[in-house]
Amino acid sequence: MSTASPSPAAPYRIPSSLALAARQFPRHRLALVGFVCLLAICLAAALAPWVAPYDPVQIKLGSKLKPPSWEHWLGTDHFGRDVFSRLIWGGRTSLSVGALVVAFAFTIGVPLGLASGYFGGRVDNLLMRLVDAFLTFPPLLLAVALVGLLGPDIQNVMLAIGLVQAPILARVVRGSTLAVREDVYVTAARALGARPTRIVLSHILRNVMSPIVVQLTVVFAAAVIAEASLSFLGFGTQPPQPSWGRDMSEARRFLADAPWMFMAPTGIIMLCVLSINFLGDGLRDALDPRAWRTRRRLADGEG
Amino acid sequence: MGRYIARRLIQVPLVLVVVSLMTFLITRATPGDPVQIMLGMQTSKEAAEAMRKEFNLDRSLPEQYVLWLGKVVSGDLGRSIRLNDPVTTLLAERLPVSLQLAAAGMAFALLVSIPLGVAAALRRNSWIDYLCTGYTVAGFAIPNFGLALILIYVFSIRLDWLPITGIGTAEQLSGGVWTYVKPFIIPAIALGTLQTAILTRLLRSSMIDVLSQDYMRTARAKGLMPATVVVVHALKNAMIPFVTMAAIQFGYMIGIQVTIEYIFAVPGMGSAVLNAVVNRDFPVIQGFTLVIAAFFLFANILADLLYALLDPRIRY
Repeated sequence: MSTASPSPAAPYRIPSSLALAARQFPRHRLALVGFVCLLAICLAAALAPWVAPYDPVQIKLGSKLKPPSWEHWLGTDHFGRDVFSRLIWGGRTSLSVGALVVAFAFTIGVPLGLASGYFGGRVDNLLMRLVDAFLTFPPLLLAVALVGLLGPDIQNVMLAIGLVQAPILARVVRGSTLAVREDVYVTAARALGARPTRIVLSHILRNVMSPIVVQLTVVFAAAVIAEASLSFLGFGTQPPQPSWGRDMSEARRFLADAPWMFMAPTGIIMLCVLSINFLGDGLRDALDPRAWRTRRRLADGEG
Repeated sequence: MGRYIARRLIQVPLVLVVVSLMTFLITRATPGDPVQIMLGMQTSKEAAEAMRKEFNLDRSLPEQYVLWLGKVVSGDLGRSIRLNDPVTTLLAERLPVSLQLAAAGMAFALLVSIPLGVAAALRRNSWIDYLCTGYTVAGFAIPNFGLALILIYVFSIRLDWLPITGIGTAEQLSGGVWTYVKPFIIPAIALGTLQTAILTRLLRSSMIDVLSQDYMRTARAKGLMPATVVVVHALKNAMIPFVTMAAIQFGYMIGIQVTIEYIFAVPGMGSAVLNAVVNRDFPVIQGFTLVIAAFFLFANILADLLYALLDPRIRY
């Protein structure tokens, strides 16, 4: 229930921080645009069988390498397959890898980061050195190596990218945990005799949730690009399944004859990542009460 | 300072041992037998056994790792199972190529980010500032291989100005300056654009920060030329975080070249690792990842040292 306009009789209720953030979010116009674009891409991918005008894998050699037209909005590829339909179906892979990586990074990274930040000492030292070791591998090369060794399969792609992203998230969570660990409410909870698990789960986690949410948008964007890169190198989705990265790799052979073949996937990846980044910026502002005040002050001062 | 450097340098071998142990375990825990891939299915049992023995693959895992580590300490990274060459020979071929490509990408990033970041900070909310924001936002979103394809399409196919292959070839190295530089241009832009975005954004914000400091007003008040104020007083201070970030990013660049190497047929480190992974060439995977990780670690230490060198307030 919204408490935006309480009737005079109703007692005033303090809106929850989530409700406040939800009200704040649409003020960031680019973030709203990003959210709408991302939602549209997700819906199109989810409803691919109904939205895509053509079968993404059916070969029609009679209409190969056709430029964009009313029939084929983004042209056709070297097998006469509709590029637009392949984009829509390809979104399924990219977005589901993105979502799975986010879930994986969250399940691994958040507990590790919380434990490292809250308990400190030897646990912290051990975990962070492990994170350091992971971060000395170049992310893409590590993912390529893992997928190459495990076999090109969507679960392995997800696992490889997730293993790269989870340590980064763990480090962010650790930093934020360190910052709130000594806050008064944590000391108060400890003084009241709360057990560490309770302190971490119900006091600290709530207060480090906003950097986590923002970092998860970064993870999602990184996962989309990483999946495309892996598929581009031949280590991800295998043909004839549609995939943004794989289709770009195929398009290399037809750069001169069919530039739409590489431009369409490049464009959709950019749109997707831009949307996620704007969404992340908006969330960062909406979840940080200090940013609201600054913005209002700026608006008052300049407006 | 000396003690700090010493402590950081002592940590390097420790981290490398962890990294190599992880690589070792990952390669051994995943399916795929290098000997079988090398010899094919029809090979005799004896030949396979002999080869296993030759590469110590018949020993227990702890033994294999310790033997490998012992040789590494004396500078021997073993031999490639696939190519039968020493891994160090392969490295001597591949590393210079990768370093040149990374340097080219970094050179592009510096050439663009310094003027763009400074101009955007000096003229906030002007067209150049919007150009800077647009460039950084786009630079973060475009995958480098997508950008590479766009650049190839425009500059080599449509305009026919620049070649798309030729890095690491004999002709490139023996020709003049232009023959040497030409094949690097498109790969450098594609590779360096993300770094350009990161560095431009950083320089813009640190310039804005420095420009609002009191000493800037003092410098202007005592009648210094605007150019002197900007370059000597503002840029010099704003460069401190910039140089650090540039060093860290350079450390990354060898590892993120894979896609660029793949498109432009560059015989670099990334494509070597790619092939080694496909063939389960364990010594190559282990040797190359070790070198890439070491490069990254040293770039990070260099970044910290530069930070202390440029900013006298920092004491380690």
